[in-house]
Amino acid sequence: MPTFVYMTRCDGCGHCVDICPSDIMHIDETYRRAYNIEPNMCWECYSCVKACPQHAIDVRGYADFAPLGHSVRVDRDEKRGTIAWRIKFRNGTEKNFLSPITTKPWGTAIPKLAEAAAPSKAMRDSQLLYNEPKWIRMDEGGLRTLEDAGLKLKKGVYY
Amino acid sequence: MFAYNPFASLSGTLPTGFMQVFVVVMAVLVVLGTLLDIVHKGSARYFFDNWRRSKGRRRQPVGGGGLASIAVKTAVVDVLASGEFCNPRRRVAHLLGMYGFVLYLVATVMMVFNISADAIWPKLWWLGAAMVCVGGYWFWFFIRVDVAAEGRSPWRVMKADLFILSLVASATLALLWAAAGGGAGLLFWLYLLATAVLFGGVPWSKFAHMFFKPAAAFEKRVSHADGTAENLPTQTRDDPEQQQRHSMELLRNAPMDMGLGIKREAPRHY
Amino acid sequence: MAYKTIIEDGIDILVVGAGLGGTGAAWEARFWGQTKKIVIAEKANIDRSGAVAQGLYAINCYMGTRWGENNPEDHVRYARIDLMGLVREDLLFDMARHVDSTVHQFEDWGLPIMKNPKTGRYLREGRWQIMIHGESYKPIVAEAAKKSADKVFNRICVTHLLMDEAKPNRVAGAVGFNVRTGNYHVFKSKTVICGAGGASNIFKPRSTGEGAGRTWYAPWSSASAYGLMINAGAKMTQMENRIVLARFKDGYGPVGAYFLHLKTYTQNGLGEEYESKWWPELQKMVGREYLDPESFHLTHRPIPTCLRNHAMISEMKAGRGPIHMVTMHAFQDPHLEEVGWENFLGMTVGQAVLWAATDVDPKNENPELTTSEPYVMGSHATCSGAWCSGPEDVSPPEYFWGYNRMTTVEGLFGAGDAVGGTPHAFSSGSFTEGRLAAKAACKYIDDGKGEGIVVSDEQIERRRHEIYKPLEHYRVYRNAVVAGTVNPHYINPQQGLDRLQKLMDEYCGGYTVGYMTNEKLLNICLKKLKVMEEDLESLAAKDLHELLRAWELKHRHRAAECVTHHTLFRKETRWPGYYYRGDVMKVDDENWHVLTVSRRDPETGAYTLEKAPCYHLVADEVATGSHAAAQKLSV
Repeated sequence: MPTFVYMTRCDGCGHCVDICPSDIMHIDETYRRAYNIEPNMCWECYSCVKACPQHAIDVRGYADFAPLGHSVRVDRDEKRGTIAWRIKFRNGTEKNFLSPITTKPWGTAIPKLAEAAAPSKAMRDSQLLYNEPKWIRMDEGGLRTLEDAGLKLKKGVYY
Repeated sequence: MFAYNPFASLSGTLPTGFMQVFVVVMAVLVVLGTLLDIVHKGSARYFFDNWRRSKGRRRQPVGGGGLASIAVKTAVVDVLASGEFCNPRRRVAHLLGMYGFVLYLVATVMMVFNISADAIWPKLWWLGAAMVCVGGYWFWFFIRVDVAAEGRSPWRVMKADLFILSLVASATLALLWAAAGGGAGLLFWLYLLATAVLFGGVPWSKFAHMFFKPAAAFEKRVSHADGTAENLPTQTRDDPEQQQRHSMELLRNAPMDMGLGIKREAPRHY
Repeated sequence: MAYKTIIEDGIDILVVGAGLGGTGAAWEARFWGQTKKIVIAEKANIDRSGAVAQGLYAINCYMGTRWGENNPEDHVRYARIDLMGLVREDLLFDMARHVDSTVHQFEDWGLPIMKNPKTGRYLREGRWQIMIHGESYKPIVAEAAKKSADKVFNRICVTHLLMDEAKPNRVAGAVGFNVRTGNYHVFKSKTVICGAGGASNIFKPRSTGEGAGRTWYAPWSSASAYGLMINAGAKMTQMENRIVLARFKDGYGPVGAYFLHLKTYTQNGLGEEYESKWWPELQKMVGREYLDPESFHLTHRPIPTCLRNHAMISEMKAGRGPIHMVTMHAFQDPHLEEVGWENFLGMTVGQAVLWAATDVDPKNENPELTTSEPYVMGSHATCSGAWCSGPEDVSPPEYFWGYNRMTTVEGLFGAGDAVGGTPHAFSSGSFTEGRLAAKAACKYIDDGKGEGIVVSDEQIERRRHEIYKPLEHYRVYRNAVVAGTVNPHYINPQQGLDRLQKLMDEYCGGYTVGYMTNEKLLNICLKKLKVMEEDLESLAAKDLHELLRAWELKHRHRAAECVTHHTLFRKETRWPGYYYRGDVMKVDDENWHVLTVSRRDPETGAYTLEKAPCYHLVADEVATGSHAAAQKLSV
């Protein structure tokens, strides 16, 4: 279901151009507004739809197999941390959904590892990664080894 | 210089009605151009078709009073305050260009139709043209989406640039012409040419969008008032009932303001 | 064209491709290299790039060791069974023992993970899968990568890795072009962690119009992980192990939550259970060790994905299609109905759109399933990728050469799809692999292995010329015709892609031929790919966007060639349901219980293929007591 842009809503802000993972949202040369230049490379990921501040982008299911008359629209609200969907079937059936997209204010709970305490030599020589072993089981245990598991790697046919 | 009506400098060289006829012709070109755009492209038919169809889908009625108040809101917020722009820089640039253009236009008409118009009018004319230039050049070099977000060269010109370029050219040449003392020399004719392209280019440029956009803004507001909301979802976390949804469990104790994530930065990541 | 050359020098760790693998690498690298220069080069925009662009509704690789739910070795056995025995068990064990710390960090960062209301634990979808509201999964992990990296270069299509001229087979960085400005970017780095994408669109897709965009795996997964590494001379493994997926028809919407959480099941067009009727015949093909339905109720051993595909494919071919997912019962429960829809909205919106368009309500009908075209990648129920070293404390000598997740090219590391032999990693496992690669890359640098790199201006100029060639070629030869896309002097990227897809489909086991191929067909395939390689020198790009597509095609082509070599080399049908060797229609453990490893010589273009031993985790007693089993080596 490739994307398309409503003429009366797009004001040429560029958010969709900036976010599209497929590099297919570009600016039309006659209207200076956005449009999908390569629908057959559109994954319908909705990144542009969600990014558009004017809700100017919508999706029409792939012409290969999707009949007309449907609508799946979204409102991604970063401030509220939610995403709302409204699905309208061709036959008029409607479904609404609302769910969280983050549980904490954006970016606030991610530490800057440059400021973390530097790893000791023991930690460097070990197989541990940052925040380990504590964060593996949230306990005081160590990293699992083959010895812990009572196993050995053996060449050959085993099932 | 700013109190002097630059059009007065033409009285010696050009016949008296020349500029007045020019102004009227420009106005007619705009009207004809817009009508041509609407009729030939069928955009009016599309607009009213759409209006009729969404009327049929209305969830709740929007009476005459409702429509009137929406019209006022559209006029005040969307038109006069360029409220649809959510990006502050774009909004300011647009306001500068829009009010600059209005001032410049009105002042031109006042001075062309009355050679001894009050001294305020030339001042407003200079101010208006200058505002158009500030907003216009700012937009042209820095804000234009094909330059800012798409990474194109600011010197690249495409069809969509017809309006902004002719507008900025008209205002720039106007200022240069007036600063050079006026008269009917090369600068004057270039100024007239740019202005003719601006007003005559309506069928090919985005000029007519200044009439379409308010209509679209009105239609958008009506859609949200009548419950169809352009098919967009209307349930939000602000609604206590929605907060109780099973899927919203994880947000029960989270702050209502999560700040900005992707939207924190301007859309030019390259 | 007057494009600038922009050189970024002195990089310690260059992360190429910032998907889940790359973001993991960039994030972790900062901890082990607090003063190191970490740079990311990403083809699109890190906030939404990669396969997780639209989000995920489940994390499919989580052990739950904190609650005693699983042990890492259990996951290894699961992956081994699913891949018909052939995986890198050292890499898998390593990934599985670390992945939980990755997931716990995601939750701490704000990723909404659903909880089981009774136990308070993460809500399990299945034994390995937990359910999340992951629409913003990518922006959240991108934020972490951005906090660690010194610089993030978005919209850089990395086309080649730079190679050291002082020491052979050592990486020196990468080059590419900026998709927006067109400028030539050169990254000089001591190490490169390749987190680029696997391969979608190298086989003809079922939908060929607009619908070609509705691939199961993202269309921007252009095999660049493979293209970059193969061209650098890295050894690749299991490239024949392409994956075919049974998903909702046309939309390719996910079925995991349906099977596991909603407890839906499949039926043929007549409303019958159909899988079991194919097991006897299949068992003759693969052996009781891989398929023993009689003992299911005892062992609860899962049936490998490919074998279930085989049953579906066979049933449809027998004329009893379409295959349906029986949803009507489950969807009567409003909570399960919500899960069923949100499963798509948070992961594959296209499926929801399709159902809305076709008035399909799973409450009232059972939607169709089908098998997809083949994909080649390394983090799902398949494990193609680079041949990498494992962790020192786990890997046997054949699997270890100094640094975890390092390929056979020194200084070149992989994460996610780029690493071969680690299926079932999914998002969390890929991020974890990135973390492992980052630590190892820092160690590599601290050990002084990245010293004395020499990159000549000649190499940089040569690559520059190569990169822009399609633009120049178009500019000149466009003059030959009036207008249009047909020109005897060149092909454009879309034409090239159509050709590659048709060729791979017909000769290398695509869906139109029932995933069937044989030695003769594969040899024809190689010949045609060689001719195509010549024509790729006449690729034409009219603008920067087409130039991007041109290089994606080149990477796809290279990967396709490698896939074909591997498919030819492995003389057996190890994964019926993924593909079939019509000339060897059985599993051959005696000769082929091995991993295939290839290397393309960067100078000559010639491929050498070899067998690498397959090691398995076995209980200590068995290992020491059964020498007879050890005799069954095939190396």
